[in-house]
Amino acid sequence: MIRHDVIVLGAGLAGMRAAIEAKRAGVDVAVISKLHPTRSHSGAAEGGINAALGNATEDSPESHAFDTVKGSDYLGDQDAIEVMCREAPDDIYELEHMGAIFTRASDGKLAQRPFGAAGAPRTVYSADITGHVLIHVLYEQLIKYDIKVYEEFFATRVVVDEGRCAGVIAWDTQKGGLHAIEANHVILATGGVGRMYYGTTNAFACTGDGMSLAWNAGVPLKDMEFMQFHPTTLKSNGVLITEGCRGEGGYLRNKDGERFMVHDAPNAMELASRDVVSRAEWREIADGRGVDGCVLLDLTHLGWKKLKSRLPGSRELAIDYAGVDPIEQPIPVRPGAHYQMGGVDCDIWGETMVPGLWAAGEVACVSVHGANRLGGNSLMETIVFGRRAGQATAERVLEQGDTGARIEPAALADEDRRIAGILNTSEGERPGVLREELAKTMYDKAGVYRTGEALLECQEKVYELRERAQKLRLDDHGPVFNTDLTMALELHSLLECADCLVTSAVARKESRGAHSRLDFTTRDDDHWLKHTLNWNDGGEVRLDYRPVTITKHQPLARSY
Amino acid sequence: MATIENAHFTTLKGAYDTETMEATLKVRRFDPETAKSRFDTFTVTIPVTATVLDALDAIKDTCDGTLSYRKSCRMSVCGSCGMRVDGGAALACKVSMRKFVEAGHTITVSPMGNLPVIKDLVVDMDPFWSKIRAIKPYLDTKGADTPAKEWRIAPVDTALIHKESLCILCGCCVSECNSMESDPEFLGPAALAKAYRFVGDARDQDTRERLRDLNGAHGIWDCTRCYFCNQRCPKGVDPRDAIAKLGAESFKEGFTGDEGAKHAKVFVDSTYKGGYLRETELVPKTIGPVNALKDIPFALQLARAGKVPNPLTPHKAKDNDEVKRLWKLLEKEAKGQPRRATATHPDAVQEG
Repeated sequence: MIRHDVIVLGAGLAGMRAAIEAKRAGVDVAVISKLHPTRSHSGAAEGGINAALGNATEDSPESHAFDTVKGSDYLGDQDAIEVMCREAPDDIYELEHMGAIFTRASDGKLAQRPFGAAGAPRTVYSADITGHVLIHVLYEQLIKYDIKVYEEFFATRVVVDEGRCAGVIAWDTQKGGLHAIEANHVILATGGVGRMYYGTTNAFACTGDGMSLAWNAGVPLKDMEFMQFHPTTLKSNGVLITEGCRGEGGYLRNKDGERFMVHDAPNAMELASRDVVSRAEWREIADGRGVDGCVLLDLTHLGWKKLKSRLPGSRELAIDYAGVDPIEQPIPVRPGAHYQMGGVDCDIWGETMVPGLWAAGEVACVSVHGANRLGGNSLMETIVFGRRAGQATAERVLEQGDTGARIEPAALADEDRRIAGILNTSEGERPGVLREELAKTMYDKAGVYRTGEALLECQEKVYELRERAQKLRLDDHGPVFNTDLTMALELHSLLECADCLVTSAVARKESRGAHSRLDFTTRDDDHWLKHTLNWNDGGEVRLDYRPVTITKHQPLARSY
Repeated sequence: MATIENAHFTTLKGAYDTETMEATLKVRRFDPETAKSRFDTFTVTIPVTATVLDALDAIKDTCDGTLSYRKSCRMSVCGSCGMRVDGGAALACKVSMRKFVEAGHTITVSPMGNLPVIKDLVVDMDPFWSKIRAIKPYLDTKGADTPAKEWRIAPVDTALIHKESLCILCGCCVSECNSMESDPEFLGPAALAKAYRFVGDARDQDTRERLRDLNGAHGIWDCTRCYFCNQRCPKGVDPRDAIAKLGAESFKEGFTGDEGAKHAKVFVDSTYKGGYLRETELVPKTIGPVNALKDIPFALQLARAGKVPNPLTPHKAKDNDEVKRLWKLLEKEAKGQPRRATATHPDAVQEG
């Protein structure tokens, strides 16, 4: 039996940051990830990371917090938002001391660029590859602190022993075989679930595995109806073109060349909040003012010098995947599923209702993003709450010692039977086919705009797919690098998360943030200023609600 | 707020509309259970915008689910899908299929080179990662007084390591490295580019120790300068250029003892003196006169093949003064290049 004090599941920014903090505090921590750490999707983040450093203009954590609360459409918990905004600056300085290569202003300080719905240029960045730079600097620290990584291990089960977390059971993808890995504390840091949508910026790996693990371990998922649609994604493969393009002065135009944001956000224009911009784009396209199902992101007036120095990655992506050079032509873009504001219900230290099970990063819902996340806040969330979860678990280990929770041999044997059942099935449908059916259903019926009718159809389809997924045809039955098995496991995670999302969305009869109902067009604070909880009730979703924490800012009408 | 006119509209018409094409791919397979290799040929229908990775996905979903390969971001930043396309390493997600289909060409997809194959297109990256670990890949400020805020670094100084900072550790350069093919222990282009990322970092204080280690066995001087790494890097890192910069920095620190360093120095001295490379001096000055004697039979063999210039003639350029003037100009232009970056403690900065 393998045993550690703390296990971190996932090796993106939140996971690695958590592991580094726990290791520094002196506990035995190991990371388990289905990918090599630098392959994690945090590395695809482009635009930047928000902290009120005040390097560009005057700024304050209070101002950052207010923008975040307003952006969340008042669904974010204000105590959690205050923590993030207050601790963000020191975390940025620490990343810089670790070696992060940020873009500098002429005075040698960290440069800060404007981002959507932010009251000041607050986004620290590294050209348009900020996530890449950060994932590599944290991986460097992982090596420095000699932290054990179980690379390409797929966690299939979080084991709960008498109400306490006992560790995980994981499949070794490279060699095959299940392993029980015990730990009193498991930090979920497995990222998002964008792959349940057809048009998505997310990597193939973003399949909600951690959300599914928590849900099956008895922890509710929170606010799952709030999937953020990013306004600027490519049609061909959903790839993200950063908000930084608009931060640097890019325009959004319809087929007539009109900057249509003037109708929706006359002050902020293209830099309004993401939900607002996505809805405006959807309307333009739906009303026939789009170009081939897209609107146009126009950067031609920025000049080649700015594009090459500030947005070289976006230019490369547009050339590779849209066939246009943004120096000369506008980029066709449309809204795509980008970020799950909801996730595993946890407190401001990341702890869930199951003692010893924690969560940080996109998998978690603390909640700092509420109904709509601001650009640049997700990277900051991974660092602040990853660090806090690492610190809190280490403190718990040092205070409590061994809780006595164990993975019984029977638990491993049960899981072995379940995985063997999936691995050896030769009849049924291919996992990839079902995933595509799910993804199109979600994009069509639970997208930027929603109606009760469409959501109910979506829910029916999800139920049907969950049923059909009980019988998946695997071609590969071997132990070594069986990606057929990985896809089947991921499909189950996606379907459970989709069920939570659509069930919550059907119930929420209002429009708030990313959840826009055409049959309930306004925000209804009297009935719906509350978090949705999705419990696992024998495999079905049971809804429950919890009040929002409000400290300073009473809900106001939201305009940009 | 403006209202939507088509209030029934939750679905975007034509959201999935795309032209398709038929593509044929030849794929190298390796079965770990039988340890046997073979080629399989597949024909799939894919969108005209599809990449090699999309074509592999189509094969996996519709032809043969046993095909294994790594993938994740599909936007050339995670570095998972390095493989050979028509014999040269590339990211499968960055290579468009359209040009091959239009040319009627069947591409061959095979695993990266210089790394053991686990299954099909999946290679064992462990040797790759151990070399990254070997160059001490993290910032070392040697206990410098850590500031409360950020180190101050001029934009021009961070630009020094810009290209190296783009590396996604995909392994494409290592796959094509000729030196590594003959010496599997050679640190290789990815690890060395990573090493320059720290040597050139204004905040790092470990420069001398790093350079000393990189001048050891299997280090920078074992590169044969074939430039395949520069050619094959999908992110423009230019690892060979990073190795050259490490060489220049090593000279500045006085690390000139390696045969590779001496070899480079003969080129510099000899061309300065005579405008030409004096090949007869090259071998003894690189490996020492005693060792050079052992190479006489080889030299005679070369001489018989007419590949040795007459060692007795002066072998000097006609207008050697012009050569020297060019050298002086180059030296002036390159003064302090590549420059050493500096980081300033914020407390030491006078706010204006």
